[in-house]
Amino acid sequence: MTFDWMKIPYALLTLFIVFNFGLLLTAFIAKIGARAGRRHGIPIWQNYIDLIKNYGQRSSITHGVMFYLGPVFRLTGGVGLLLFVPTIYGSEMFSNLSFAGDLILALYFVFFGTLGMALGAGESGHPHAAIGITRGLAQVTAAELPLALAVFAVALQYQTLSVTEIVAAQQGGMMNWTMFTNPLAVAAAMLAFLGSMMRPPFDVVLAPQEIPIGPPTEYHSAYLALMQTNRAIFPIAKIVIYMNLFFGGATSWPEFAVKVFLIYLFSAFVGVCFPRFRVEQSIRWFLIWAVPLGVLSILWV
Amino acid sequence: MVSPLYIIAVALVAAFLLGLLKEERRGLAYSVTLVTLALMSWISANWLWLFISTDAVPVEIYTAGTAPPFAINLRMGLVEAALTLLINLTGLISGLAMKDSLLRQGRRAMAVWLVAVMALSGIVLTRDMFNMFVFFELAVIATAGLVLISEHIRNDGLTLAAGFKYMITSQFISTFLLIGIIFAYHATGTLNIDGMANTSLVLLNGGSIAFFLMFIAIIAELKPFPANGWALDIYESADPAFSALFSAATGAAALYAADKLLLIGGAEWLPIATGIGIVTFVAANLLALPQTHDRRLLGYSSIAQTGLILVVLGQRDILGEHTLFIAGGLLLSHAVAKAGLFWLSGLVAGRELNAWAALRSHPLLVFAFVTFICMLTGLPPFPGFYAKWELIHLLAGEGRIALLGLILFSALIEAGYLFRWFGYVMKRESPAEPVDTAPHKTAAVLVAVIAAWGLSFLWGELAGALFGRGNILLALPLLFALSFLLLDPLPAWLKNTLAIAGMVAWFYLTYTEYDPLRMIFAAIFLIGGALTLLASYHAHGKRIGFYPSAMLMYAGLAMLIRATSTFDFFVAWELLTVGSYFLILRGKHSEPHALSYILFSLGGAFMILAGFALAAQGAPHFSLASLQELAQPLAPWVFLLLAIGFMTKTAAIGLHIWLPGAHAEAETDVSPMVSGILLKAGLYGLIMLLLTMGRQNFYGVDLVNAMLWIGAITALIGNLLAIFQEDAKRLLAYSSIGQMGYAMFGLALMNHLGWLMALMFVINHYVYKSMLFLAVGGVAKRTGTREMYRMGGLITLMPLSFIATLIGIIAVSGVPPLSGFGGRWIFYNAILTSEARLPMIILFLAGPIAFLYLFRLIYTIFLGQLKDEFRRVKEAPFWIILPQMIYVAILLVVAVVPGLVLRHVDAYLDQFFPNGGLSWDGMIITSDFGYWNPIAIMIIVGVIFMTLFSWLLFVNRRAQKVKQFNIVFSAERPFRPETTHFAWNFFAPYRKALGFLTLPLVTLFWSTMTDFLHTAGDLTRRFYTGNGQTYAYHLLGFVIIVYLFGMGIQP
Repeated sequence: MTFDWMKIPYALLTLFIVFNFGLLLTAFIAKIGARAGRRHGIPIWQNYIDLIKNYGQRSSITHGVMFYLGPVFRLTGGVGLLLFVPTIYGSEMFSNLSFAGDLILALYFVFFGTLGMALGAGESGHPHAAIGITRGLAQVTAAELPLALAVFAVALQYQTLSVTEIVAAQQGGMMNWTMFTNPLAVAAAMLAFLGSMMRPPFDVVLAPQEIPIGPPTEYHSAYLALMQTNRAIFPIAKIVIYMNLFFGGATSWPEFAVKVFLIYLFSAFVGVCFPRFRVEQSIRWFLIWAVPLGVLSILWV
Repeated sequence: MVSPLYIIAVALVAAFLLGLLKEERRGLAYSVTLVTLALMSWISANWLWLFISTDAVPVEIYTAGTAPPFAINLRMGLVEAALTLLINLTGLISGLAMKDSLLRQGRRAMAVWLVAVMALSGIVLTRDMFNMFVFFELAVIATAGLVLISEHIRNDGLTLAAGFKYMITSQFISTFLLIGIIFAYHATGTLNIDGMANTSLVLLNGGSIAFFLMFIAIIAELKPFPANGWALDIYESADPAFSALFSAATGAAALYAADKLLLIGGAEWLPIATGIGIVTFVAANLLALPQTHDRRLLGYSSIAQTGLILVVLGQRDILGEHTLFIAGGLLLSHAVAKAGLFWLSGLVAGRELNAWAALRSHPLLVFAFVTFICMLTGLPPFPGFYAKWELIHLLAGEGRIALLGLILFSALIEAGYLFRWFGYVMKRESPAEPVDTAPHKTAAVLVAVIAAWGLSFLWGELAGALFGRGNILLALPLLFALSFLLLDPLPAWLKNTLAIAGMVAWFYLTYTEYDPLRMIFAAIFLIGGALTLLASYHAHGKRIGFYPSAMLMYAGLAMLIRATSTFDFFVAWELLTVGSYFLILRGKHSEPHALSYILFSLGGAFMILAGFALAAQGAPHFSLASLQELAQPLAPWVFLLLAIGFMTKTAAIGLHIWLPGAHAEAETDVSPMVSGILLKAGLYGLIMLLLTMGRQNFYGVDLVNAMLWIGAITALIGNLLAIFQEDAKRLLAYSSIGQMGYAMFGLALMNHLGWLMALMFVINHYVYKSMLFLAVGGVAKRTGTREMYRMGGLITLMPLSFIATLIGIIAVSGVPPLSGFGGRWIFYNAILTSEARLPMIILFLAGPIAFLYLFRLIYTIFLGQLKDEFRRVKEAPFWIILPQMIYVAILLVVAVVPGLVLRHVDAYLDQFFPNGGLSWDGMIITSDFGYWNPIAIMIIVGVIFMTLFSWLLFVNRRAQKVKQFNIVFSAERPFRPETTHFAWNFFAPYRKALGFLTLPLVTLFWSTMTDFLHTAGDLTRRFYTGNGQTYAYHLLGFVIIVYLFGMGIQP
């Protein structure tokens, strides 16, 4: 097998762009959320400050090996997810490392970071971490289902599992987007999207009020910095998948920025409008409202 | 040759001589008795040898030198020789076992004993109706006498009552018989049985009523349901050694008498005999179900077996020349096993079934008990197995399906109470009173054991001669397994080494025979089995019973993949079932679970038997490959039966309730065997079935499609139930149910990738489930509990177990980069080409649920808070860790180069499913829809991970380890680890949302079924009031019913 070594710097470039874009975007979205709640909100560069602060903190403890590795797993999950999916359609430069696997790889790799993080948080011995994880895992089983169905519908529709080919099939005008050719699947997927973005009504996993900050409870300093880095990259990586599957992908970075922002905004928009669900409520909600849409989308293809 | 007349003469003379002896010369009298019985046996044996070794024709003996009808004649043929040998030998050995009793009673009792045995032989030998009546009378009087003098055994009057009731009943019977004979003589002018048959008695005027009376009398001697209360009282109260004679010898003689009579009655009476037989077989087994008294239970079982043999006699119109082979196999199995069990009961002090737990301290006696119940149940290699196989096949060939169903159903009930009893023997508290190990009593039992195995060999040879089948006992894997019975006194490590060497050697000898598909299974069964056995090195001492059981299972598995005919397949199937049952039963609390396992498995096996029998349509030989030639309307039925049978083994939903307990309660090194390895036998069966029969349409239902649904629902419910378990091994067990659901789903997709996925599951499931069971077993061994919430924080104390568990759960969950992902990737590709979209949705839901229980498994055991009592826990024993580390290595290798195995299978599958295979281009695996590059994934993930890890090490190099309570806890200090470890009822919200799906409806269904059977048995039991008058009414009622049925059908 010949490997094009240039792929590595290109991939790092993607990573760099997305990392900065993610830091700014999450702060921007937070600010929008604050304004909706009639607060002033954080400065747009707040994430940079936090990151520097966390790397700079001197106190540093560990609860054991898995605890130490948890954030590493987490960030590996985020970076890997980003790199396994082509970011910009038609650009060899930003196709990243997608030669390694198709859509299924991306979908399953989502769990890599989650699982590693859960293990790390688990070793901290903090009950709140474990409670947060059980909530998160319980919720994700129901939330992922509509997405899986939608992805399956899309794969059936385009008869491929390759992300690049799915994007290619949507080129040539907005009406070719999956959003219009298979609206049911997109609706189901977008509802699933709400469940994975850690925003109300599905943010009981972090639950700042009752179990302060959930799984990351015990993490601080450099650990937290790694996780913050992931918090900038991971949602974008996930949105890239949505964008590629349902919204025609992006052929340039500006198009990328706009689409990612709008998709992200959707979860923030819903988040500021609705109160929080308990876990069993959100499970029922997904099974009752989102899953039937997914089922219909599969049958409809 | 000594004239058979001497069997009778010797006994009479000896009985007469005994009367001349002085009362106090009891020792001498006893010797005379035994010598006489030995002589009688010797004569029979001589004749038997003559008939076996040469083609001698049966010999007629004219007592008065004149041919019938002017004199009585006896006949000695093969059957007579065998039966008289059985009777005389049983008399001899029972006489031996009854030594104390006979010596106490003195010469009179011995004389009666001789007369009883002689009379029974007479019944077999005679060809004269009136003579038979005389012998019956002699037998009856002797029996009554022997029962009455057993009074000293119980001293509560019951024996006396039983003997008296017997006298009343037998007078009824004698009256019928005598009147019948008078009428028959009047009609035919002869008393000779063959003469009556030749003159077609039943066609003559008044002949049918004459026959009816004789028939009913002989049948009543067989103790048919419900006219058998008296017999049960005898079984319950008489000396067990006498009961052995009563069950084995009297039963055999009466059956042969019935057989002779059916000769007279002709074809019209065969259905009546069948009817009486099957009703008795079913009812007696049902009645045995609620019994707690050992001898009464054996009594019911005897009656049931007699009923079954009567069925065989009644089916002689279709069994033809095989009647002898079948009836003989069943009769000898019954006689030897039942006599053995009665003799064994003489060693046990208590009369409750529980009291037999005393046997446990004597491995030899346990082996005897196992031999007897396996023989009664008709398991291979015993004669009953061959007989049942032929019987079921011939019945199916003639379309007598209802009868076939009843026989199998009833046999299952029989297996139920026998194996339940065995569970008591192995698991219940041992009673204070020890087993009576008097040499003469033990010898009797051992003779029966030897006879049992000798007959098995003989029947194997006979089956070879008659049907061209191989003798099961000569199959090398089975012989190897049985040899461990002899090796059992050796230390466990030595036997373990031998076992591993044997399995590897067998694989080496046979590996060239397997196609890639079989190769996967052969590798898992043999090499995988050997690998699992490494863990068994941790056991100390001798581990009596472990190796014969384990090797029996492996022998079955090894024979299964080499089987080409339905017979070989079924033999292997039964062997592996029994072997695994014994293995599972070894667990500390596994008694009820092992029972439910064997019942479901045997139920499944009977389904398979019925399926094979239906498929064969009477053909003596049927190869597995011929299944594909079956056509409508037979094929879907065969498919259905076989599929249900195999799905019992894979624990498909509805048939799964045996699995969690059986796998969880098994010993540490047994769980991986029965989970990682044994479950694959069911999948192998399904693969074999689908390969040969393909899709079948059953009244408009596509059966493969139904299997798809069952697979999906199994996956969902298995996974869902797993997340709510507190017991780590139960969690893994439920997870296995889910995984098998996936594999079944893959097979039922019936496309290339579906099969590839199923096979990938087969391999992966073996590796990770064996590994996880060992890891969890090792932890349970160290902590003394399997409840996960009691553990916690063990990661630093048991790091290797943790690593194994970690790798295991990553592989199970399907997260890249480990091998589980390959399975998921193939799955997605497989379903893209399938039309069945709805069941997939269920599977989509099931997938992520696996994360829940996997996380729970690793978190609650290894992470979280370490408890004070476990602070000194050590890593699991070396030999339990070693195989886990090997599995870790295998998982990593398979993850990086899945092509090592899958490529060949993929290519092999092309011949069945030419389209939709994968293409293996260098490192990249491509399907019609997507691609996957395992090595690239591994490298990318590894590089990213290592880079970030180095970065963290750099920025966080001064991190210091803190104590476990050093956590942010709202400015408080946690109280205790127990209150801080969040582990119990881990997924409470999930239970609130979806708990309704886990209601134990299936368990409820099956327990209702068993309750119903028990209640039915218990209600019927109340007919037997113990009142002699009631019994007389039963007999009368029976006579009337048979009359109405029997005479009603006469023209």
